[in-house]
Amino acid sequence: MTSWKRFATAARFALIEQARNRFALGLLLIFVPIWDWMFGTLIPNDPVAFKLQSTGAFLQVNGHNLTVLTSGFNAITLIVAFMIFTAARRNADFDRRLVLAGLPRPVAIAAKTTAIVVVAALVSLYATLVLLFFWHSAGFGAIWLGYLLDTLIYGALGLLLGVLISSELAGFFIIIMVSLMDTLLQAPIENPLANKDFLAAFPTYGPMQVAVSGGFGHGVPGAVLIALAWFVGFALVGLVIFWWKTRIWSIQAAPARPVTQPAQQPAQALSAATRDTLQ
Amino acid sequence: MSEPLLRAEQIARSFGRRKVLRGVTLDVAPGTLVGIVGENGAGKSTLLRILAGELRPQHGAITRSGALGYCPQAALLNETLTVNQHLAYFGAAYNLTSLSYAESLIASLGYQQYRTMPVGALSGGTKQKVNLTLALMHQPGVLLLDEPYQGFDWETYLHFWELAEDLRSQGRAVLVISHLLFDQQRFDALYQLENGQLTQLSIDQPREMKGV
Repeated sequence: MTSWKRFATAARFALIEQARNRFALGLLLIFVPIWDWMFGTLIPNDPVAFKLQSTGAFLQVNGHNLTVLTSGFNAITLIVAFMIFTAARRNADFDRRLVLAGLPRPVAIAAKTTAIVVVAALVSLYATLVLLFFWHSAGFGAIWLGYLLDTLIYGALGLLLGVLISSELAGFFIIIMVSLMDTLLQAPIENPLANKDFLAAFPTYGPMQVAVSGGFGHGVPGAVLIALAWFVGFALVGLVIFWWKTRIWSIQAAPARPVTQPAQQPAQALSAATRDTLQ
Repeated sequence: MSEPLLRAEQIARSFGRRKVLRGVTLDVAPGTLVGIVGENGAGKSTLLRILAGELRPQHGAITRSGALGYCPQAALLNETLTVNQHLAYFGAAYNLTSLSYAESLIASLGYQQYRTMPVGALSGGTKQKVNLTLALMHQPGVLLLDEPYQGFDWETYLHFWELAEDLRSQGRAVLVISHLLFDQQRFDALYQLENGQLTQLSIDQPREMKGV
């Protein structure tokens, strides 16, 4: 079996597992539209100042649209981090067994990264489509890109926490606190300090810049790179921990010695009596 | 006497100040079934994890010939994947071109009707059968089984021994670890792990006289 086939198998099962996370899918279907609707209903269309990092200028943008956009960030970062965290934490021992059985760790790592990218792409696309019901933005692609970047970052954070923390509750709390703090601080309506420079040090800063700039028709800024750096940083730390935790100690090999007989099919070795009992 | 397929020499391992293994030496020759018994917390699973390569010994050496089959005490499975998906996943891990032997193991352990069910929906005993299948499906030369029949019903327990006999007759080296070993006469050699060291026990009956 080639490495590519082994990777395809591992990636397929990583994705099947995500697709069977019904709780997360339920949250996506229900929580995202309700969250967008609730914040959209609360906030009027009054203009709000948003500082664009690429030019340093303040944009005057529609407060309702900006709020719906930022509420989407809050919802999808929570859900994607939760999905990836749950799978990584629950599979810690199973992954180790697979590696012990011979699955190359680079294959396992590539499969995990693929799962994050595919989940992030689909969730961010869905959230962008939901957003269209509340704000008919012309910058669909930029908003999707902003959402994609943030879900990549939070997917990688979920992986990092999943391989690092054994307590499910502790992981969930960290995800909720980080996402709330990060996404709410970036929103000028929820936080009057949202245009302060120090907020550039937070993970959602880059995705927010991309989505607001592109969503309100000002092009895609270079903050994409800042967001990608967060994704790569979280993913690297998480994957290094995974690499460390799945290490196998090499055992000295004795000269190869074949077994004395070719393997039989186990069923053939059964006595008829036992086989009958088992039927 | 044949060269052992698995040899452990003076294995030592501590966790903090607690010395769990203090110089364990063991040979498992081809075509033999060796049992290790010990109380809860005696270090049996630690020894097996070291023999499998999951844990590093702080002292000693291990030599192994041939592929390893490792059946951990807890059924380490993915609850969301089906039995068939587990076979495909471990088939990729073992780099197998055919799953026919795995399929015949499922038939012989009698759980083919659950193949398309997610493992999370299976009973504890059936999960243990899947656990055992994953350890055997690549026909390893050395088998390390940690409480392998935990949760089995009586028929499956008997069947497990037929399978073990089958593996032994094929020249494989089989090591079974348990806190309670019934049917001691089924083993070629039996050891007790106590105070971090192995002591060989006498076997009640010769193998030829074994019965259920």
